[in-house]
Amino acid sequence: MRDNQTKYLLLITFLLVAYYLVCGIYLSRLGYFSQEGLFYIEKTKIVLDGLGNRLKVMGLTAPILPFYMSFIFSAISDTLAPLIASAVSTAILFYIMARTLSSRFKDPFYLLILLIVFALHPGILYAACSGKSIGLVLIFFFMFFFNLLKFYRSNTTFHVSIASISLVVLIFCDYKFIWLTLFFIPLVLSITIQSLNLGEQESIFRLFLSFNNPSLRRKLINKTFALYIILFILPLSCIVCYKLLNLTHAEDLNYFSESPYATWNVLADKLSFDQLSTSHGYQLPETSVLISVRILIFCPMMLVAIYLFRESTYQVLTLLAPFAFVEFLHIKYEKVFLSQEYYLIFLVLSLLCILYKAQTIRNQPALKLVVGLVAILQLYTGYLFLHDSTVGEERTFITMLLNRTPITEQDENHQLANYINHLPADTHILVDDANAYPVVAYTDNVHKLTLPYQSVFLSAIEAPDKYDDYILLASDKNQTTGYTQLNNKYLPVIKNTNSGLRFHRVYETNDWILYKIF
Amino acid sequence: MSIPELLIKDGFITERDREKIDDLSARSSLSFIKIALNFGYISRKNYERSLSNAGYVFSEIREMPSDPQVLSKIELKFADQHVAIPLRIENNRVITLMANPDDKLFIDFIRFTYDREPEIIVASDLDIVWLSHKLLGDKYVKSAVYELLNRDPANSAFITFSSGQLVFLFALFGLIVIGLMINFKTTSITINVLVSFFFLVAILFKLFLALVGSRFELHQAVTRDDLKELVEDDLPIYTILLPVYKEDKLIKKLIWNLQALDYPREKLDIKLLIEEEDDKTLNAVRNLDFPAIFEVVVVPFHMPQTKPKACNYGLHFARGKYLTIYDAEDIPDTDQLRKVVAMFGKLPSNFICVQSALNYFNRNENFLTRMFTLEYSYWFDYMLPGLDTLDIPIPLGGTSNHFKLENLVELGAWDPFNVTEDADLGVRAYQKGYKIAVVNSTTYEEANNEPINWVRQRSRWIKGYMQTYLVHMRNPLSLLRRLGWKGFLGFNFFIGATPLTFLIYPFLLAIFISYLVFDLSTIRTLFPDWVLFVSIFNLMVGNILMIYINMMAVFKRRFYELILYSIANPVYWLLHSIAAFKGLYQLIVKPFYWEKTEHGLSKVTNPTNVVK
Repeated sequence: MRDNQTKYLLLITFLLVAYYLVCGIYLSRLGYFSQEGLFYIEKTKIVLDGLGNRLKVMGLTAPILPFYMSFIFSAISDTLAPLIASAVSTAILFYIMARTLSSRFKDPFYLLILLIVFALHPGILYAACSGKSIGLVLIFFFMFFFNLLKFYRSNTTFHVSIASISLVVLIFCDYKFIWLTLFFIPLVLSITIQSLNLGEQESIFRLFLSFNNPSLRRKLINKTFALYIILFILPLSCIVCYKLLNLTHAEDLNYFSESPYATWNVLADKLSFDQLSTSHGYQLPETSVLISVRILIFCPMMLVAIYLFRESTYQVLTLLAPFAFVEFLHIKYEKVFLSQEYYLIFLVLSLLCILYKAQTIRNQPALKLVVGLVAILQLYTGYLFLHDSTVGEERTFITMLLNRTPITEQDENHQLANYINHLPADTHILVDDANAYPVVAYTDNVHKLTLPYQSVFLSAIEAPDKYDDYILLASDKNQTTGYTQLNNKYLPVIKNTNSGLRFHRVYETNDWILYKIF
Repeated sequence: MSIPELLIKDGFITERDREKIDDLSARSSLSFIKIALNFGYISRKNYERSLSNAGYVFSEIREMPSDPQVLSKIELKFADQHVAIPLRIENNRVITLMANPDDKLFIDFIRFTYDREPEIIVASDLDIVWLSHKLLGDKYVKSAVYELLNRDPANSAFITFSSGQLVFLFALFGLIVIGLMINFKTTSITINVLVSFFFLVAILFKLFLALVGSRFELHQAVTRDDLKELVEDDLPIYTILLPVYKEDKLIKKLIWNLQALDYPREKLDIKLLIEEEDDKTLNAVRNLDFPAIFEVVVVPFHMPQTKPKACNYGLHFARGKYLTIYDAEDIPDTDQLRKVVAMFGKLPSNFICVQSALNYFNRNENFLTRMFTLEYSYWFDYMLPGLDTLDIPIPLGGTSNHFKLENLVELGAWDPFNVTEDADLGVRAYQKGYKIAVVNSTTYEEANNEPINWVRQRSRWIKGYMQTYLVHMRNPLSLLRRLGWKGFLGFNFFIGATPLTFLIYPFLLAIFISYLVFDLSTIRTLFPDWVLFVSIFNLMVGNILMIYINMMAVFKRRFYELILYSIANPVYWLLHSIAAFKGLYQLIVKPFYWEKTEHGLSKVTNPTNVVK
């Protein structure tokens, strides 16, 4: 019986992968590529074919685990690897949730709801078909909370350590989740008080009892400290080690999160905000209190989730921690708009709560009705949030998905890469992949390119004629022109240094100008 | 007046005691005196006092001459049961040593066997036991040493390196040297890569095992209800072997611990195995002021002088259906034996051994005991249940492994030439298709609190692992066939990898520190980018994970105060490396040498074996 169930779930999962891939490949044929995906494609090419300090690219490209996930699938296709990775990750998330669900419920209703959400929710489709790491983030976010809830029930080391390991992976999928730990600091004390073997049930009285009895106080302090350690030492030490690696290999502790060579979102975030704040239809950025409200509008199922856990204060606080986390992100990264990923975590969390607690509700028909209606409502709110998203990529995705109209955003990069591909094999082109990674991603042979990961790059900038035959500069129209040294200001400067240098414009697009060096 | 009546008259035993002793004697064929002195009815001092008051004189007998002709007509087990032995014939009388001078059965035996009247010399039961084992124990001690070697030489560690292994090792060494001479860089990188991957797989395997093991931490192999269902009268006789060597300080403690065991006294068959030359322990038993609840078995001198040899010897006298081994300082959970009986009752018949968890009662004594506790918690609470779940051979812990006696004998018992005979026995059991389970009961031991003593003990363990690995890898294909791929890999990564990782660890650490501190550019030539990446990953992730697993284990045990000590594990592993090199050296020069661990060094005496 159980074997059959597993087989069916696997079958559905494979069908979901196929469905996501069909959607994703179709969108990519129409010209949709996420910045993150292109970044991974470019780094994969460097790791596989590059000449130079590949160790740095291999180890310090961030977020590292999505990059590796995409790297694995590059064996199938270079350009589709991120897409396959995101489709597979999202389907795996479905499988994990469905397995958990089927072990708790015989009734297929909730599985149907889950399937509807994974097949039709625009946010989930975005996670699965965009080539981004959202799917992976959601898996480990789910694992973290799921094991934490299990720990609340069983009080076993296994669950708390799995939660901790999930948190580590989550952080290496998206570094910002390190801040989630901040909101667990008060929570851990509350968890410990709850886990003490006391007759009193009310949290406040338990706290009172524990603090006024020397033996209990010692136990409380020891256990709280141990729980902090067991939950957070792994993520924190991993981050410390990773930062040390950054320091030893890139002379910068925060290279992985602040360098455009290491991560795609440094530039993408800045651009998205610049673009928005200077455009005509200036939108008010999300204001703090409204973010939580927006989340509840995006995912009203969270209200059902909180209702299910209403009897336990610390468990409700656990569910509220991500709200505080997202609010904090908004304050901490004030110039970055919240992307779909941070809304989707609530969708996953609410589904988790339902699959974890729904069986405790006696009035199942009413609950099913509410869950069903809310799930359908969420399909619409999901669409609205993508459609009105402050992040351009998200808007483009939903528009393309619904209208199926091709976009030309990447066409010029593609054409430029084609031009480079047709140059003789021994040609050398100076390229700064801080912003030119989409061009490099479409290039067939990275041997032709002199890129910043190579030790000759700086010398090549000083004396391009000695190292390279061509140089790729960002044009004035390129939105990222201010984030690279290789832009229109470079030519006058280098000519000042070496007046004998001659540059001949051989290929030009809206964003790029390729010069031949004489 | 008979001796029992004398003892009753003196108030050392009651009428009810006598009835109980007689009853047990009828059921077990043990003599009155054997039961009275070894089942907690009367102390030796009181017994001697009572007899001396009645006019008996206790003689010194250990140097008395004996006649092999006379001895050849008596069987050791019979002499042992009656605590009596005929020595020689003098003046047409059989000089007979007896602890109980009115043991009619034995006196009749002398009359019938030698056709002469006995001349009885009363002596201390311990001296008689000592002398009878010394004089009559030869065939048993030879069997204890050579039984496995004769019956199953392929599984005996008598030969440390087989010819094939020597050829392999020297050929490998030769290939590496030639490789280094022809192309130093490529060969070094190849070795480097192999070592890196080996470490990576070993670490991930251990993490996997720990997670699998921790998954079942709430699972109670034996529940309270299972214990309630046990019928007192149906409980089988349980043999407990206590191999000791110069443990005189621990004898009193041992009795307290044994008395705490919740098991019918008359169904316990406790044997204290004392080496022939170990007068210290024998005298400590002699000087006890209160009744002992164990029987002394003296192991005659024979090389190798190892614990498994003593246990094999003791096995010849075991009466139980089940058998376990405890060290002198062990404090088992009081209901451990009952739990094991219940567990054997639940398990299929191919489960022949049940291992209890081991932990330490003196964990907070110093740094070393804390680290040891961390290690044991992780080993017994996570790794062994992990191995158990995945059906991989379990290297048994040194004590608290409970066997079905008949299956233990069938396996050839312990290998006296192997210094970790327990780990070896676990693998042999799996090879024969038997299984080992892990029970939710703990025995608290004394953690080594002294560094030199620690290194001695650990070097023996690591040497034993090397021996066990070499023994079972004499024919890897046959092992693979018998254990299956899971068991084979488990054996390699658990038994084989453990000494190897400790041997390699200091070199890798030295290279890494040199790389960090001196920034040696030449090291980079031996570490291409991706190798360096894997190595750094291993170092970081490996260390962190191993530390974390230790933390998990003490968290589970609720030893919260130890959690931060896990961070000191890399230093602790260096101690392991020292022990590993010592073990390797001894493996080559004196493979059977038993590094004795000093017990009783701990100042902590609080027993913590209360069942929670």
